[in-house]
Amino acid sequence: MLTAILVMTTLAVLFGLLLGFAAARFKVEGDPVVDQIDALLPQTQCGQCGYAGCHPYAEAIAKGEADINQCPPGGETVIRALAELLGREAKPLNAEHGEPKGKTVVEIDEQACIGCTLCIQACPVDAILGAAKQMHTVIREECTGCNLCIPPCPVDCIHIVPVEEEIDTWCWPEPETVLEYSSLEKQK
Amino acid sequence: MANRQKFQVEVAYARPDVQVIIPLEVEAGTTLAEAIHVSGILEQFPEIDLAKNKVGIFGKLAKPETVLREKDRVEIYRPLIADPKESRRKRAAKKEKSVQAPAGRGAES
Repeated sequence: MLTAILVMTTLAVLFGLLLGFAAARFKVEGDPVVDQIDALLPQTQCGQCGYAGCHPYAEAIAKGEADINQCPPGGETVIRALAELLGREAKPLNAEHGEPKGKTVVEIDEQACIGCTLCIQACPVDAILGAAKQMHTVIREECTGCNLCIPPCPVDCIHIVPVEEEIDTWCWPEPETVLEYSSLEKQK
Repeated sequence: MANRQKFQVEVAYARPDVQVIIPLEVEAGTTLAEAIHVSGILEQFPEIDLAKNKVGIFGKLAKPETVLREKDRVEIYRPLIADPKESRRKRAAKKEKSVQAPAGRGAES
């Protein structure tokens, strides 16, 4: 009788430990739909969708507050990718939020820049290098073309320049690249 | 944790024609100036003179002996070309003109 109880208890403890270990070891990071949506968005953080950035917009889509066709920089490819992810019908871009245009970046006119830092504060992606009373310079690679730096500039020294498609700048139509990029980011 | 912890920082310098951001792994306690020297950015851009070019972290001027924190972006700045005071005077004059004009504000551009 005592042996039976002992054996059962030992087994119970053993299996308990095993389960506890497995739960900790093979824990699957929950991949909430918000992150999946965010990964499809272009990360321009331009706010044209009416939300403060790509992640807030992704949250709004997940909650059902926002529609999937409010992202002009993403254009049709992003709408289709979102439709596929969420099992919804793809629809044309809502023109209220703007129209898709070619990739642009901004440049600062060095003759006019007074080093006021207002554009740096407005930049959602830290793409402007500069400090108070120092020259401000746009880091082209980082600039998403959101143009949020343009209104705050007191001397109107920021200009939009289109990015020509060359071998250096060409990339696959987004989501795919965005997905790759975000998975790279996560590994960091 | 180990007393010689390492973390990532970046060293950045930008000109209109070329901008570089060099990722760097440094030990805790590394100063801003040390990171700049280690990054090799001075060899890449001989025009940088740390006695003249101001430095900072993420848009804020900082002293070269500032100790870095994780994920800091060390930035090397260039001086302004325009004189902010002169520029302000010009803008004030322009504004006065546009106030006199019937089209009011937003007359430029």
